[in-house]
Amino acid sequence: MEYLLKNGIVFDPKNNIDGEQMDIFIKDGKIVENVSSDAKVLDVSGKLVMPGGVDLHSHIAGPKLSIGRLYRPEDIRRGIKPASQEDISGFEAGFSLPTCPTIGYRYTKMGYTTVTEAAVPPLEAKHAHEEINSIPNLDIPTLTLFGNNWFMLKYVKENRLDDLTYFISKWLKLAKGYGIKIVNPCGSEAWGWGKNVDGLDDPEPHWNVTGREVITALTKVNERLGLPHSVHVHTNDLGHPGNYTTTLETFDCIKDIKKNKNVERNQTMHCTHVQFHSYKGTSWRDVSSGATELIDYINKHNHLTCDIGQITFDETTTMTADAPMEYDLFRLTGLKWANKDIEVETSSGLIPSIYSKHAPVSVLQWAVGLEFFMGVTDPWKIALTTDSPNGGPFIRYPKIISWLMSQEKLQDMLNNEVHNWAVNRTNLGTYDREYTWNEIATITRASPAKILGLNDRGHLGMGAKADVSVYDIDVENFDPTLKNNSAILENKLLNSKYTIKDGEILVKDAKIVKLVKSNHIWCKVNGLEKEEEILTNRIKPEFNKYYTIKYENYGVNEHYIKPETCVDIEYGGVICENN
Amino acid sequence: MVVLFVKTINLKMIKSSSIALEFDNVLPELLYDKSLEDVKNTIIFHGNKKEAVSDYFDVNITGKSDIPDDCEIIIDGDLSRVKRIGYCMSSGKIVANGDVDFHVGACMSGGTIIVNGNAESYAGREMTGGVLRIKGNVKEFCGSSYAGDWRGMSGGKIIVEGNAGKQLAEYMVGGEIIVKGNCDILAGVHMAGGLISIDGTINQWVGGQMKKGTIIVNGKLEEMLPTFTLQEIVHNPLICGKYYIGKYELYSGDNGVKGVGSLWLKK
Amino acid sequence: METPITDYDEEIKNCSCSYCGNNCDDITYLLKNKQIVGVRHACRIGASKIINDQDQRLLNPMIRNEEGILEETSWDEALDLTAKLLYNSTRPVLYGWGETSVEAIKKGIKVAELTGSVIDNQSTICHGSTIQAFQNVGHPVMTLGEVKNRADVIIYVGTNPMDDHPRHLSRYTTFPEGFFRKNGREDRTIITLDPKFTNTAKVSDKWIQFNMNEDYLLFNALRILLKGQKIESDEIAGVPITELEELINIMKNAEYGALFFGLGVSQTLAKQKNVDVLIQLIEDLNRYSKWSMLPMRGFFNVSGFNIALTSETGYPYGVDFARGYPRFMVGETTTIDLLNRREPDFFMAISADPGVQFPGYSIQHLTQIPTIQIDTHWGPYTELSDIVLPSTRVGVETEGTAYRMDSIPLFMKKVIDKPENCHSDEWILNELYQRLEMLKSKEEK
Repeated sequence: MEYLLKNGIVFDPKNNIDGEQMDIFIKDGKIVENVSSDAKVLDVSGKLVMPGGVDLHSHIAGPKLSIGRLYRPEDIRRGIKPASQEDISGFEAGFSLPTCPTIGYRYTKMGYTTVTEAAVPPLEAKHAHEEINSIPNLDIPTLTLFGNNWFMLKYVKENRLDDLTYFISKWLKLAKGYGIKIVNPCGSEAWGWGKNVDGLDDPEPHWNVTGREVITALTKVNERLGLPHSVHVHTNDLGHPGNYTTTLETFDCIKDIKKNKNVERNQTMHCTHVQFHSYKGTSWRDVSSGATELIDYINKHNHLTCDIGQITFDETTTMTADAPMEYDLFRLTGLKWANKDIEVETSSGLIPSIYSKHAPVSVLQWAVGLEFFMGVTDPWKIALTTDSPNGGPFIRYPKIISWLMSQEKLQDMLNNEVHNWAVNRTNLGTYDREYTWNEIATITRASPAKILGLNDRGHLGMGAKADVSVYDIDVENFDPTLKNNSAILENKLLNSKYTIKDGEILVKDAKIVKLVKSNHIWCKVNGLEKEEEILTNRIKPEFNKYYTIKYENYGVNEHYIKPETCVDIEYGGVICENN
Repeated sequence: MVVLFVKTINLKMIKSSSIALEFDNVLPELLYDKSLEDVKNTIIFHGNKKEAVSDYFDVNITGKSDIPDDCEIIIDGDLSRVKRIGYCMSSGKIVANGDVDFHVGACMSGGTIIVNGNAESYAGREMTGGVLRIKGNVKEFCGSSYAGDWRGMSGGKIIVEGNAGKQLAEYMVGGEIIVKGNCDILAGVHMAGGLISIDGTINQWVGGQMKKGTIIVNGKLEEMLPTFTLQEIVHNPLICGKYYIGKYELYSGDNGVKGVGSLWLKK
Repeated sequence: METPITDYDEEIKNCSCSYCGNNCDDITYLLKNKQIVGVRHACRIGASKIINDQDQRLLNPMIRNEEGILEETSWDEALDLTAKLLYNSTRPVLYGWGETSVEAIKKGIKVAELTGSVIDNQSTICHGSTIQAFQNVGHPVMTLGEVKNRADVIIYVGTNPMDDHPRHLSRYTTFPEGFFRKNGREDRTIITLDPKFTNTAKVSDKWIQFNMNEDYLLFNALRILLKGQKIESDEIAGVPITELEELINIMKNAEYGALFFGLGVSQTLAKQKNVDVLIQLIEDLNRYSKWSMLPMRGFFNVSGFNIALTSETGYPYGVDFARGYPRFMVGETTTIDLLNRREPDFFMAISADPGVQFPGYSIQHLTQIPTIQIDTHWGPYTELSDIVLPSTRVGVETEGTAYRMDSIPLFMKKVIDKPENCHSDEWILNELYQRLEMLKSKEEK
């Protein structure tokens, strides 16, 4: 099928197209230079056209979601919407914990085509992939949790970087994972004994390994393997006043590790939901924003990128592999606490969270997130996320965009809606930046795609995947800086005019017109098969002793990953310095 | 006080079914300005089928009303398989002459419901306002919350003239429940506000895991939880603006959850 | 003494047992001429289930004739009739699912949505109340390997795994060597709380007997003692306070504690509130030590049903599609309650035997309405069924996914061929779905 998207106003930051009126040609699922006269013409004159949205950090599939849904039926009920008669999608259910089909419906209607599941323990990876099979219409890479894995800890402790390299390469294949996720390194393992680690250099009691050692070792391995994405780090001390120093140290601890020369991304580390890691003070009473120092670091260095984890003032659900932090939250709020410890690999925790405009701490967190949006000068260094559903559900992205594009709206909130900690304890009030459409397209498309290393998307250049979203916004005549337009803007971005994925129209005029199976994106390193086999044979006896399932039943087989996009990486030998 | 209802919609059951009917469209606020024909055609749910009110009821209308508050719906017949009477109701009045099924008055925010009979479980669940009066007994979870929610009934008043089933007022956060008869186990469990007053005998474990709120037992308590502590003995106490005659023991708890709830026991 | 089986020509290793919630995945099947002749590593229940698999098998679709006798028929006829009955029903219930694959369950959910049915599983009679408690106060759980590697104190309450989940202690919790428990059993303290002296109590270091139906009181008392407060009476639920103090001290001082509980907790008087306060006890214990808990789930995929149903509909069991979208309300949309209210006018059981599992009063209603069985073996429910659709064994004749009691997913292999005229649950439900869709599109035209 060929399409001609006619006369849209195109924002494609990667190709330096900044609001030009132009045609987009689509053939065989790709962006092409021209199409035949048979092409179907879609007149989108004057409408906002961007590449399909890319979310580089969201929680959409796997055990945490299942626990969340199972224990929060009240959240499910809140999102119930009967199937529409005019639409081919089914019913929706769940607000912060949508059901699998609902996740697909809501993301596609927002114009998103790629969404990363950010934390999958290999032992339950089948579960995540099985859920992906129930989510329609997206491309989904999964990040595999390694930051508290016992084999990893052992290799780091014994300084066996080669073995760690083969281990990661093999385990990504077993979990059908796309990249390396590190969550509260050593802290989640310490939670196995009800403890946590305090900062980057506090060793885990049994393994005597520190977060710093884990992050640097895995970063080196990541660059050795030349994985398309960098390590994806949730730093230690999440959500603790005073944690910004840990974050700063984490930023700095890998700056000398050289990037693999074959990758297109700029960063060697991606720090996720940085908002939750940017607090000064010693307690929630004297807490204040530590964003300024972190923003300054980000602006001065090129080896790291981050996403925000913006708070959106909702009753949502927090979920993370940082289980000790969730127990702290439970102690703080007393709301129902869920925890799941996963043998040999990680722990995880959940708790409902109510972010209120009247609660000083919620407002501080909200403002810290916005400080990053305002303060980081290069939009290619950040990506828009809410760490969905932790800061708020992903359906709030359009609302965040409406805040970023209108100082009038933001000032109105600061003056009339939110608690005064936003002004008194952060520097949010000192910024007067307003995002342009080009910058919005960067932080929701171009930048996250580049950070992920998915170079075939996030832009509309020749040969790119034909993932395109069109919104019913007349770019010339619509002023997003007006407060009165905020609600309209949000609504238009929630309900795309067209969402096109792989050259197929999935959404038309805010209605889902086609459902396709989601694609499992994973990374396969070629060239280490022999080393992997030797390693596997060596660790199998240990594996079968300490896990409670057999190694032979551990991996995710073909049954679970149809259709798949396997990203092949040719291993190039040790091409980074080993320092 | 005499309230004159200007419009009366009378529904008389002509056919019963073992499969429950769902009545959430039959509300004063939805029908106060409707014609006889419209009321007859109002959709009710019967299992997985949609049917009309007139398939099961004779409909009579007298008078006219301009606002929902002036509308009264009277339902006669065996309503023990009619669910969701007055569900999410905000104004007007419903009188059910017979036993009613699940969720009567659930989520209601205003108006009055009178049940001249017994009610199934979940009566007045998550109610925020209005008055629900049940002349007979209620089953479980009266005035409770929806599964998983820690915010149950938050306002309004439920009067049960008969007995109440298990877990009365579970997770109640506000409002008032009066039970004139007896009460099954775990009344006021997880309660965090509001007031329950029970005239009859109450089974075990009243107030388990309660954080706040007031429970008054004017009858007899079978077994007290060890997690409550006796504070004082008061004669003719004044509780939430009302005097209770007799000698009452005041306990506080549930200590297991650091609760500061008040449990008054008549001696 | 049984002699070891030597007469086999093929060994298939690392198969998953399709019996209880242990889902042991280290089973070896011994085959001769493509038939299973022996089983290694399985417990006696699992092994006998496999070895006797061919006994009492349902082999052909059947429809009950006018004389009331089940008569063999063709698949088309049986499926057409099932579809017609289901399509025309007003309050259909699709029950079971504990012993089939997640793949089949997902098809079943589609059937339920299309037909406005109630879909429910064994949770409704077992750990449904546990799930209610999780929904109310929290869900602190772990995978079994955490227990194997770390636990020095293990408590079983109201459950008897030695008889019901035979390899639970030997494979997962008590006896095996763990990473931090090199001496296995010697490094651990096992305590059983049960009104009865069970076989699990026999192998425990300590058995605490308490009064039936007083669980709620008992766990509340433990919470108070944990907080260092005094209790005025000498005993609670029949247990002397001194013994409870000793117990809570052991719990408080554990390095890693694990608590397993069964229907003895979740189905006695206060039901979900027993579990509810037990969860809060575990939460409190985490201030001093590390504790997790896990319900002892019965069938090999009851947990998988809860997970699949939450993925698709948001709710874990008892989902009512009557209005086209999911609703969940214990007592209203759960199978036993519906049957006792005499609501259902169609009942289909998939890989479950209500004839065994349900109380008599509920079963009475099944004799009054169309009943369909999709299952592998002849059982009491077959005698009640109007239509019988013979299916295949997951993990033996059909591949598929199941979730262990701790929610670890396992891919279950196909080992031998199915009986010729049987089909997998997934196939049957898919055929049914297509027929139902056809009926629907006909009606819409």
